[in-house]
Amino acid sequence: MESTRSKVLWIIGAVVILIWSIFPIFWIVMLSFKQPGEIGNQPGFFPKDWTWENYETVFSIDLFTSALINSIGISLIATFIGVVFATLVAYAIARLEFPGKKIILSFALAIAMFPVVSLVGPLFNLWRDIGLYDTWPGLIIPYISFALPLAIWTLSAFFREIPWEMEQAAQVDGATSWQAFRKVIVPLAAPGVFTAAILTFFFCWNDFVFGISLTSSDSARPVPAALAFFTGESQFEAPTTAVSAAAVVVTVPVVIIVLLFQRRIVAGLTSGAVKG
Amino acid sequence: MVERTRTRTRYGGSRGTGRGARATVAVALLASGLSACGGESGPPTLNWYINPDNGGQARLAESCTKAAGGKYRIATSVLPNDATQQREQLIRRLAAKDSGIDIMSLDPVFVAEAANAGFLRPFEEGEKAQFTQGVFPPAVENSTWEGKLYAAPFWANTQILWYRKSAAQKAGIDPKAADFTWDKLIDAAARAGVTVGVQANRYEGYMVWINALVESAGGRIISAAERGDDAAIDIGSPAGRQAAAIIAKLAGSKAAGPTMSTDDEEAARNLLNGPRGGFMVNWGYIWRAQNGDAKDGVIDKSIPADMDWARYPRAVAGQESKPPFGGIELGIGAYGKHKDTYAVEAVRCITSADNMKKYMIDSGNPAARASVYDDPEVRKEFPMADLIRDSINTAAPRPITPYYTDVSGAVQSRWHPPGSVDPNSTPAESATFIRQVLRDQALL
Amino acid sequence: MTAVETAPAASENGRKRPEISDRGRSERRLGLMLAAPAVIVMLLVTAYPLFNALYLSLFSYRLTSPEDREFVWFANYATALSDPLFWQNVLTTFFITAVTVAVELVIGFALAMVMHRALFLRRTLRTAILLPYGIVTVISAFAWLYAFDLTSGFVNPWFGLGEYDWFGGRWSSLFVIILSEIWKTTPFVSLLLLAGLAQVPRDLGEAATVDGATAWQRLWRVTIPNMKAAIMVAMLFRTLDAWRIFDNVFIMTRGQNDTQTLSFLTYQQTITRTAIGLGNAVGVLLFLSVLLIAVIYIRGFRVDLSQVRGDR
Repeated sequence: MESTRSKVLWIIGAVVILIWSIFPIFWIVMLSFKQPGEIGNQPGFFPKDWTWENYETVFSIDLFTSALINSIGISLIATFIGVVFATLVAYAIARLEFPGKKIILSFALAIAMFPVVSLVGPLFNLWRDIGLYDTWPGLIIPYISFALPLAIWTLSAFFREIPWEMEQAAQVDGATSWQAFRKVIVPLAAPGVFTAAILTFFFCWNDFVFGISLTSSDSARPVPAALAFFTGESQFEAPTTAVSAAAVVVTVPVVIIVLLFQRRIVAGLTSGAVKG
Repeated sequence: MVERTRTRTRYGGSRGTGRGARATVAVALLASGLSACGGESGPPTLNWYINPDNGGQARLAESCTKAAGGKYRIATSVLPNDATQQREQLIRRLAAKDSGIDIMSLDPVFVAEAANAGFLRPFEEGEKAQFTQGVFPPAVENSTWEGKLYAAPFWANTQILWYRKSAAQKAGIDPKAADFTWDKLIDAAARAGVTVGVQANRYEGYMVWINALVESAGGRIISAAERGDDAAIDIGSPAGRQAAAIIAKLAGSKAAGPTMSTDDEEAARNLLNGPRGGFMVNWGYIWRAQNGDAKDGVIDKSIPADMDWARYPRAVAGQESKPPFGGIELGIGAYGKHKDTYAVEAVRCITSADNMKKYMIDSGNPAARASVYDDPEVRKEFPMADLIRDSINTAAPRPITPYYTDVSGAVQSRWHPPGSVDPNSTPAESATFIRQVLRDQALL
Repeated sequence: MTAVETAPAASENGRKRPEISDRGRSERRLGLMLAAPAVIVMLLVTAYPLFNALYLSLFSYRLTSPEDREFVWFANYATALSDPLFWQNVLTTFFITAVTVAVELVIGFALAMVMHRALFLRRTLRTAILLPYGIVTVISAFAWLYAFDLTSGFVNPWFGLGEYDWFGGRWSSLFVIILSEIWKTTPFVSLLLLAGLAQVPRDLGEAATVDGATAWQRLWRVTIPNMKAAIMVAMLFRTLDAWRIFDNVFIMTRGQNDTQTLSFLTYQQTITRTAIGLGNAVGVLLFLSVLLIAVIYIRGFRVDLSQVRGDR
């Protein structure tokens, strides 16, 4: 039914989308290869003299390297704990009959819509009182709780699709319940858990509000917050190219994850949210 | 000496985070995150929170550590770029009674707030003299709250008028003339088709400009600050209106830069270096930055040679201008473990005339003690040393009040963008607004 | 994980029977136990701070002068609600939300259509579209800021705009903020809509074609009505997300030129001004506004949340 003309149109559409999606990233990569002095003098898209200087600069700044370590560590820990918690809840919701199921799901939904900024004031006070201010756990805890909703939906939608009968079938075939679980259920559930982990990681990696409000030094400040406070060489200089280089460094893991696990992410985002 | 090491920017970080550590796995990261607050051996460490300055303060910390001969060591941590954000970080930590802040580099305008909140350790009568003798009066004034000295002046800053000789010639004016006013400056620049760079983004730098104009016109923004939210608010005075008239005039003139309402210090410098570059008011760091850029080939070599400087322009004819005052004062945290002993000693070391001179030559930031400006090395490095000294001596501090952030924020909110400033209404409106904000009756 | 291995045998067929047996009781206990850690963490970070915010909002209280703390009942709310700045911020937030959601629905739908139909490039397309989704918002803000910035940007030279200062005016600043927000979050919308598209029965469209419906008619009469649930869910999520916009504003304009949003206003009072009382009042108002929007969607537009939760 598709005519050649409409086929061409679809292809053009696809190319436009490609450019639109990649262009700003490409731009920041280009910026990161410019000489710092090029800013303000020859604005243009491509670097005049390509240089690695900005990357050397950001990796020599303690503020950035410690922020990178903070971001990686905090995000990984929060992701791990968050996914474990979410798996437990999702399993219970998908497989067990207990009161409060609906309430938990609605509550999680409400959290996902919560205006985070409303909370940072009181959280700041609370963390100050109990000594969590400017520490890793001080960020890990809010990250977990705000990433949980997405992980819970994704996983509970996923767990519903798992043919749990197979486990019993395996047991009938003589497997112990542990074997049945490990050989049958784990392989089926793992992709869902993995997807939830990716989405949770993205959430933690992206956070800015908690990062700037609940930290004040390089002992816990994550990269997005550090970028906002990035300084030039002297008090007054705008560190455009260095920020760009740092931005590229932080984007690399995202790109890798997207390239490797594109299908998982799409599945997770769509199955968790809209179910027919 | 002047060379700015782009690739090896030294930010004085405290805890060394080795490159190898980057590859560490999550579990190890958790452990290191938790152990960061653990005990350490060796001499006690003083944590000095510094504003970014390309490593100058970090190097001073090293040399004072050496001078201490093993009694203590000084580690530095860098604060954000912007004065308001530096305050935000420090205030939040201090409110959390952080014992890890021993010494902090404070923008003068925030001393009163921190002192009033009890976050700073006041200097005792006996300690006072060594931090104030031979120090510029505005710096001492800014470090004092309710009669007590709460901070030690470290370096002092001021703005002067920087300009291109060729532009002044083209405009047919002599900025060094005794009675050089903003009016003359703007008219001449507009005639000659060159720009007048200022800081008019909605940030502290804009407040610096407004305050200097109001003070130069013989007024004040607020006074009797010790009365808290009952302070006298004077920005609606004729001086305030004169300041507004100057801002409105520049904003409406061809001499304004294209991005005037978002210009900060560096944007003004870029403007000066651009094809329409003419004049700008800016801090003392300009000389260093310009020469460094010329050396690196970032800007044309002819630009620094074409540059000259003059005192901050007058707001009204026949009345000396009062240039802006800035710089850094060193405060001692009220919760630090060594606040009465090593911290005082370290501050004494850092603010000695010798170290001030070293720092001035190293970083380009002007010393807070007048005697330093007579040093031949300093005079060679800074041809405008006399002008800077005289400007700082007669500089007008911004309002000294524990509610400085609110006052500044309120002024910025009503006076921004500069194009909207109306001498007949803006000063009076901002006066009302400051009062409301001080009384918690308005959002900011 | 140990729970997982003991549970399956217990629960099979269990869900259809209403009577409470021993097995049912232990299943209940297990279910609650499994849900507990997540629920506790979520409560700790939301419920307690929320009540604390309510409490603190009744005080005139500054972090830097704790001894002046004073109970003032609802004075802070009165201050906020009678302040023109608050309403101006509400308007700005509303404008940003309305424009981004509307544009994202249109673009997101187009993207979904292309992805749905594309025969080649299908995988490449999905990968490309996920990039903005995964990028840190702050970085997206920087990328667009630098693109439009006069000193570093290419936009002005490319489009011959000379020295036009994008961040010098309210609407041009909002334009760039919105652009960055749209770029970053449209992929999310388009993926939700893609899932919705997949649910539209193919034969319906084919039948309509046989009946002589044009492509446009098919879109409006068949495709869109059949994916209403997906559209509403995408709208609800994006509306509430856009309503909280903060990162872009913080990075790009710091709220100047009247680009402050409600989130930014709250941050400004609590964190920057350290006016704890007033700031928490604004925060509570922000929370209430989110609640209001959610209620409007769920009651007014009848967004079926069981669709969202994946209930059957």
